[in-house]
Amino acid sequence: MSTVWITLAVIGSALVIGAVGRLVWKLRPQPEMSGLPTAPLERLGWVGLGVTLVVGIGLAALVAVTGTDFVDENTTARLLFWLLMIVGFGVWGASWYVIKRRTGGAVVDERDRAILARSLSVESMIVLFSLVTWTVVLTEVYWDEGVLPIAYLQLIFWSTFVGGAFGRSLGIVMGYRREVTVDA
Amino acid sequence: MPKAKIANDIRRLRFEHDEMTQQELAIRVECTRQTIIVLEKERYVPSLSLAFRIARVFDRTIEEVFEYCDDR
Repeated sequence: MSTVWITLAVIGSALVIGAVGRLVWKLRPQPEMSGLPTAPLERLGWVGLGVTLVVGIGLAALVAVTGTDFVDENTTARLLFWLLMIVGFGVWGASWYVIKRRTGGAVVDERDRAILARSLSVESMIVLFSLVTWTVVLTEVYWDEGVLPIAYLQLIFWSTFVGGAFGRSLGIVMGYRREVTVDA
Repeated sequence: MPKAKIANDIRRLRFEHDEMTQQELAIRVECTRQTIIVLEKERYVPSLSLAFRIARVFDRTIEEVFEYCDDR
């Protein structure tokens, strides 16, 4: 039985590594696309990368210190959590407003929209990776108990949300280092 | 299928039109300056709509601004 699971794990890991490798190869930077002035959406992507990294690290630190108490019992930790989310994503939203005001002319054009659409593949990959990781880890840890602390639902959601936002920002920044075509 | 390349004369046409800047052209055709830059470098193939808008700014037809180069 264990041989079957090990075989499945090896095949699964190979598939995941292959898919991630293919994505990274497709989105690798092209030297001829470097040195361009940053587009407004690209600036938003950089801000998003910073914000999601800070929020993600903050969330991880909060969980490391308080466990899953921040969801319900520890009011201070819960306040810190919401502060982190509101300030972090608030800064991201406000930065878009500032970028739009500072930009003369169009802020997002057809090329930006194509890059934005393509960045979804990076976001999807990270969301999928997050869900698979949570599923495997929680199944392994709580298998014998047969029940799962409800606080993990909150953690799964928020980590996937922040990870998805990070993936979208990463996809945008990588997208500006690649040639892009539109079908319209 | 061979990869097609779309060449263009945007840079020359800008200079023939009172040395129009990339930003000015971007504003007139409603795109970002970065898009104009990658267009001039021929690293981006615009949509038909954007190609028409660019051609109209220079009072030219699309064929006078853009050229289809087949690699075959």
